[in-house]
Amino acid sequence: MVLEATMICIDNSEWMRNGDYTPSRFQAQADAVNLICGAKTQSNPENTVGILTMAGKGVRVLTTPTTDLGKLLACMHGLEIGGELNIASAIQIAQLALKHRQNKNQRQRIIVFAGSPIKYDKKMLESIGKKLKKSSVSLDIVDFGEEDEGKPEKLEALLTAVNNNDSSHIVHIPPGPNALSDVLISTPVFTGDGEGGSGFVAAGPAAGGDYDFGVDPNIDPELALALRVSMEEERARQEAAAKRAAEVASSQNQGDEQSSKSQDTTMADTTGASAAVATDAAEPMSEVDALLQQAIALSMQTPASDSAVRDTDMSEANNEDQDLAAALQMSMQEGEKDSSGQMDMSEVLEDQAFVSSVLASLPGVDPNDPSVKDLLASLHGKSESSDQKKDEEKAAKDDEK
Amino acid sequence: MACTHDHSCEEHDCSSEWSLYKHIDLPKVSALNEAVPGSVKSVFKAWEHRLDFSGELLRSNDGDTELLVFVPFTSDVKIKSISIVGGPERTSPARMRAFINREGMDFSDAQDMQAVQEWELVENLQGVLEFQTRYAKFQGVSSITLHFPGNLGGTTTQIHYIGFKGEATKLKRDTVGTIVYELRPNPADHKTKAETGAGLSHVG
Repeated sequence: MVLEATMICIDNSEWMRNGDYTPSRFQAQADAVNLICGAKTQSNPENTVGILTMAGKGVRVLTTPTTDLGKLLACMHGLEIGGELNIASAIQIAQLALKHRQNKNQRQRIIVFAGSPIKYDKKMLESIGKKLKKSSVSLDIVDFGEEDEGKPEKLEALLTAVNNNDSSHIVHIPPGPNALSDVLISTPVFTGDGEGGSGFVAAGPAAGGDYDFGVDPNIDPELALALRVSMEEERARQEAAAKRAAEVASSQNQGDEQSSKSQDTTMADTTGASAAVATDAAEPMSEVDALLQQAIALSMQTPASDSAVRDTDMSEANNEDQDLAAALQMSMQEGEKDSSGQMDMSEVLEDQAFVSSVLASLPGVDPNDPSVKDLLASLHGKSESSDQKKDEEKAAKDDEK
Repeated sequence: MACTHDHSCEEHDCSSEWSLYKHIDLPKVSALNEAVPGSVKSVFKAWEHRLDFSGELLRSNDGDTELLVFVPFTSDVKIKSISIVGGPERTSPARMRAFINREGMDFSDAQDMQAVQEWELVENLQGVLEFQTRYAKFQGVSSITLHFPGNLGGTTTQIHYIGFKGEATKLKRDTVGTIVYELRPNPADHKTKAETGAGLSHVG
């Protein structure tokens, strides 16, 4: 949150008509400038930004350093392309504009967009750099557009002449699919020596440097808390999904006898349904894809009956909350170990009811289908034995009372 | 106008005279054209340490011998004389120009403006020279800017110590006291005369 006065020097020379940056070099540059203005004014309310054009008929100051973002965005309209870049006088005029800033406590910074060839020689640029360093003005250079031989070296020489304690930066952006502003967001031009970016929640894709979720907990603690909780839930869900995938893989290796083909259909259907329903915002596609592939692989092979059904249970749980999935997981493990956990059983029961209800609601699955009934019966059979156990224990308890 | 000490320092406690460094607002001290940012703060120290050449010093950028040092004080001071200990081998500054109570000066301002006072400096490696001021002009000083246009021939200018002799008054030139802003009016804070019953005669 450095208190800074910035002058942005825009290249509006003839070379900016080129379309190698979408939609045109000039437009890409304008977008980047708008983003920078927003970032600077947002990182510290007292920051001021001014804009000048370097080409055209001559160097022209569009706005002197101001805090008014609206004014800055407005003066970016109606700019004409033409003429040739005059970087030396542009930097000098920028320096003069900064010298007359109203708040002398602000640090001085110049941002130069160099999109066309530089006709000055290295020596001249170095002397300009030295003058800037003497007045402790920092300089950021954005090298894009025309790739002239010697241009990167000249700009690097300028940077080394100005650079004082790493406060000045240079960014080379070759033409490519990414927008100029997107590439710039991650550079120190935006983040400003690593501190300024945290306060700026960008309209672009990247969000916030220092804080996890791009939201400062001091400014908005509830939002930060909500984001963190949802992130943890998501992580837990992914872990459970990973466990399930491991379970599915291990059940594939078991390879028991399969009861009927319809189970495959059921499996595929339920997985398909869960895949369809699992378009929650929180649902990662990779998890569904993995399960889908496992389902398909399973139906190719001869999957285990119980484990297939359990897989059904598991895939149902995709749509349910985390506790249910965890309980299912536990019940899976418990069932394999053949230990009786009353809590687990009751939850499996719950799932039975749920499973049958969901099966009933699925298209193409007729609950009255004998194979489905067999499936359910096998499920119930398992739970019946544990039911009996439960009843016995309950009876024992009642007796005690 | 230079004068030397005509007594040995053990008898007379010089350090108490050069104690204005205590009234310097160190965090706000800044310099232009220093090679290492922030190194300017190291030249303001106690009189005893003025010859301590081992620590940090203020050095200008290579090839450029100008220096501009901005020194704000925590209260208004009266400066009687200034002592400068420069670097060896012709890196000591040759001239000094002082400006009073001006903030945010840069080199072009310093070169254009008339200084309050200027001195021709000599090499002062023993730290015994001091340069007197026209005391009448240095009465209510809340900040002083020292401009060193050049040195005695070296490629960079080095300064190890800058000392001020004088008095500190308790006054501050233009302080605004703590201001409390109200976000919402609190009627309890704004009792009018009518409410407290003063200034009105009660009838009945």
